[in-house]
Amino acid sequence: MSTKKKLLLVFGGYALLMIAIFLIFGSDGKNEEFQPQNEFKLDPWVDIHLGGIDLSINKAVLYIVLASVITCVSMVMIANRMKAKPNKTQMAVEVIYDVIRKQITNDNLNDKLAAKYFPFLATLFFFILFSNFIGLIPLPTNTEHPVHIFGMEVPSFALYAATANISIPLVLTLVVWVLYQAEGIRHHGFFKYLGTWLPAGLEDMNVFGRAAIFLIEAISQFVRLISLSVRLFANILAGHLLLLFMGGGLAVLLGLGALGVLTFPMAFAFYIFEIVIVAGLQAFIFSILTAIYLGEATSESH
Amino acid sequence: MDPIAFIATALPLAEAAEEEGGGSFLVQPGIGLMIWTLVAFVITMLVLKRFAFPKITEALEERAGQVAKNIDESERRRAEAEEVLAEYRERLKEAREQADDIVARAKRAGDAAKAEATEEGKAKREELVAAARKDIDAETKRSLEQIRKEVADLTVLATEKVARKTLDSDDQKRLVEEALAEVDFSALSGEPSRN
Repeated sequence: MSTKKKLLLVFGGYALLMIAIFLIFGSDGKNEEFQPQNEFKLDPWVDIHLGGIDLSINKAVLYIVLASVITCVSMVMIANRMKAKPNKTQMAVEVIYDVIRKQITNDNLNDKLAAKYFPFLATLFFFILFSNFIGLIPLPTNTEHPVHIFGMEVPSFALYAATANISIPLVLTLVVWVLYQAEGIRHHGFFKYLGTWLPAGLEDMNVFGRAAIFLIEAISQFVRLISLSVRLFANILAGHLLLLFMGGGLAVLLGLGALGVLTFPMAFAFYIFEIVIVAGLQAFIFSILTAIYLGEATSESH
Repeated sequence: MDPIAFIATALPLAEAAEEEGGGSFLVQPGIGLMIWTLVAFVITMLVLKRFAFPKITEALEERAGQVAKNIDESERRRAEAEEVLAEYRERLKEAREQADDIVARAKRAGDAAKAEATEEGKAKREELVAAARKDIDAETKRSLEQIRKEVADLTVLATEKVARKTLDSDDQKRLVEEALAEVDFSALSGEPSRN
């Protein structure tokens, strides 16, 4: 039997299984009750209100604190166990550390700034990386659909990611934005720094043209607030939505159990894709863009 | 049912009923969460900056230093080894030259000894030959003398017998002279005849 035939047989059998399940269970009709987006809804667990600010502890706060604690504990543990002959974990951390040090920090910043901002950039990277990883571990955090065990209400296991909430990437982006603008102003002086926003080669242009271009550049500076935060947020949210739908959400929504047969294996593929590629890649992109913005703000020409 | 159309209706991001449905909270930043994040991030950064990064950097730099040191060390050793090798080559060459020299000298000495021995042998041989020749000459001379005497005596005897008388000394002398003059002795001494 050729490979082509084997593949056809496997997929044919798979399709048959799907049809069989559809014939047995049929369709329950569209499920109006299940709201997938509510997986990402934040219900306050502990209400805290301080001076009009809602500091309630919810799922996202738990994830942020978890990410923070796990980042600190694992990195400090690794740091204290550094050996001359590294084991596999240490080797992996060293490779990541080297990437942060060389590709992210030193390639974009001069030596002085690199030394100053390396802790910030490395923390950004590891913080986002661990947040993304924790987001892919099922934790008993779903209070909307609790499970009842011996009459006790226990939150069911669910996937959630701190970075799939806009607030978290946004506040990190704000910190980055303020930092690089401040660094630019410190380096050039306020007006000269604004002058560096204009691209080189416009010396012959009239005032109105230059003003228009300055306006565009200024807008692009503010758009970075959105692009940097939404890139991370949307990637992680989309990944989690995909996992939710493929892992059964779509079948539940449509009341089509048969569809689950098709989507469930894809959930595994997406899960691997998320954990191997997206989690690290988004952390890398966020921190390298930060380094690039910092480098750009302090370089002589735009 | 068309799944794409379905997702579009299932995720009504903006329209949304207020309570359970709707997903506008997905893109609505919350100040409280932002403050929590900021605090968590700053604490994480301080902890890592204080307890993790210096040690990791130190370990990595130490390793890099170790590697550089090892490379330098091996470089040095290699240079040293090369130097020693060159020295040994030089010495070997010297030794070979010396050996060649010794062999050459030995050969020369041998040749000289051989030549000397040959020379000596030749001289000795010539000496011996000369001595032998002298002996032969002397012997020949003596033999000739004897033959001459013998012949003279025989002549005298024969003449006495023929003449039945004793020859006086004058006759005898004359006879001898005559007889001897007729006998050519030169053939005996190996010299060419004088007449």
